[in-house]
Amino acid sequence: MASQILPLELIDRCIGSKIYVVMKSEREFSGTLLGFDDFVNMVLEDVTEYENTPQGRNSTKLAQTLLNGNNICMLIPGSEGPQD
Amino acid sequence: MSDSTPPPPPAGDAPPAPAPPTHVGSPTDFLKGVVGKRVIVRLTSGVDYRGILSCLDGYMNIAMEQTEEHVGGSVVNRYGDAFIRGNNVLYISAAEAL
Repeated sequence: MASQILPLELIDRCIGSKIYVVMKSEREFSGTLLGFDDFVNMVLEDVTEYENTPQGRNSTKLAQTLLNGNNICMLIPGSEGPQD
Repeated sequence: MSDSTPPPPPAGDAPPAPAPPTHVGSPTDFLKGVVGKRVIVRLTSGVDYRGILSCLDGYMNIAMEQTEEHVGGSVVNRYGDAFIRGNNVLYISAAEAL
């Protein structure tokens, strides 16, 4: 059997790199992963927050941010989003 | 009496008590470092609250001072003290250097 990688281990390997976070709602975050916890609350740095609305996609820049894991849907290591 | 934290508020689902972190408390480190600083708290509703973080707990319940409530980018309210229930919080972002 091929060696398996656990999901939290995958996120752990991403610490220090860029990560793209997709929320359950029409919102996404791009930033550098500083750390996370068992609930996958995430600490990100140099963050861009994207909001997808019918009117278009707006972005906001944030510094160090603690993102509540409750609303996180998907994590994409090493990505900056759809432009990638 | 070693535990000085207040009892957890009653919650519908399992209370997220301080669990052993996967990594040397990155969220807990952030939370310790951000107390007393200006922060932006965004709720899942999209409303922003900007103010000085007084304190917070493991549920992301937040107490803030000199709070401004921003809806759609403009200030709609100002509060001297504000308490935000943690289940509503989308993120806590530092508005000044930590």
